[in-house]
Amino acid sequence: MASFVRPALLRQSKACLSIAFSRTISTSLSTASKSIARPATRSNILKLAIPGSTRVAALHASARRSLLPVLPQSIDGTANDAAPVPETNPSHGSYHWTFERALSVGLVPLTIAPFAAGSLNPGMDALLCATILIHSHIGFDALITDYLPNRRVPKTKKTFDWGLRLATILVGVGFYEFETNDVGVTEAIRRIWTA
Amino acid sequence: MASLRTTSWLLASSRAVFRPQIARRSMATVTGNATATTQIKSAATVSTVEEPAPGKDAQIKTFQIYRWNPDTPSEKPHMQSYTLDLNKTGPMMLDALIRIKNEVDPTLTFRRSCREGICGSCAMNIDGVNTLACLCRIPTDTNKQSKIYPLPHTYVVKDIVPDLTHFYKQYKSVKPYLQHDTPAPNGKEYLQSKEERKKLDGLYECILCACCSTSCPSYWWNSEEYLGPALLLQSYRWIADSRDEKKEERKAALDNSMSVYRCHTILNCSRTCPKGLNPGLAIAEIKKELAL
Repeated sequence: MASFVRPALLRQSKACLSIAFSRTISTSLSTASKSIARPATRSNILKLAIPGSTRVAALHASARRSLLPVLPQSIDGTANDAAPVPETNPSHGSYHWTFERALSVGLVPLTIAPFAAGSLNPGMDALLCATILIHSHIGFDALITDYLPNRRVPKTKKTFDWGLRLATILVGVGFYEFETNDVGVTEAIRRIWTA
Repeated sequence: MASLRTTSWLLASSRAVFRPQIARRSMATVTGNATATTQIKSAATVSTVEEPAPGKDAQIKTFQIYRWNPDTPSEKPHMQSYTLDLNKTGPMMLDALIRIKNEVDPTLTFRRSCREGICGSCAMNIDGVNTLACLCRIPTDTNKQSKIYPLPHTYVVKDIVPDLTHFYKQYKSVKPYLQHDTPAPNGKEYLQSKEERKKLDGLYECILCACCSTSCPSYWWNSEEYLGPALLLQSYRWIADSRDEKKEERKAALDNSMSVYRCHTILNCSRTCPKGLNPGLAIAEIKKELAL
């Protein structure tokens, strides 16, 4: 019946008779059903396809630098267990995200205002510095979380986390010094802009 | 044709009793004349018809397919190329793969089932894009080779079959079923208005082919903890469902640094979805739900 619904294969069956007969896997079938039930085991593209074009190409053409090589697959529990759900932690989740977005949106007027208004307010300047500092801290923190997974490289992650905190404090102190002992960020940008 | 066939079959069966054994028709044979005696020729007497050389209008296209055999794990994966005449092949990539498996190389392994984009089995990376082979047309440009890889950043079972165990475990963790404690108002079913049902459009169509999740760089790096676009779309499908009573629990399960917030709006998911859904939008809706 299968041969009836696949007439295209049936047409090729005559051409394939000899091939079908020579195959050893269908010895249990009778000769009549063998020639028709397995009509197109290998058809006319066989000779085209196999000898000439089957070739093996190297998958990796370039040298491999494995920074974080892939580990063998490991499944926690059985395949039917659900993946563990992390604990609810809004201060690292939704609050963090909302704060980050609010900060990013706030940065837009903060960067434009001093130049649009043309006034130099040390309070606004300090606010801009602080916002930029926290914004960058969150950005770099996201980088570390993304690329240094805690389960793979806990020590490196901790090192980078503390390195980032140190850098943020250092930059904060630098901003403070610049604001109190020098001209401040807005004025510095204005001078460089018109220099 | 079908009716003709039925009548001839009935006639043949009525005469079968009076026919000698050799003329009787078995199920798998198709004979032109039921009364003629058929003789089975041996292989030696059958003349071999020469296989036709490719004609002038043959469209020979080369397919390069990722091969890796778990029986020889020390061998590196490699690309193997196959040539097919597009005139004799169906229009879709899955047709080409099935034809290669049937007629050229039976060792080629891939998943396929419905061949019409509803089961999500044949998800693979074709010419650099995650898509369903059954929904992807073969580019008719025969000068260019088509490259077929398994879904990126998945553990490979064999050839282009990826291991999606963890994906399914994560799917289970989002509890993809209606959670409803109170009895239905009419004692039979939970009703929903047309507007509420409309919110589920674009969400319920997801077939979990994992094309979007495996195209997401965040999911590549953090697939153990980050849920990925497909499962966040599924999460939102149940958060948005008006009949579900565990909305707050569902939101609480997502409210941590890894489950949702590793999404950085790269939007590879929405670009690659073979069903034309928008997982990026669903994730944005989840973030909105969580934020306020």
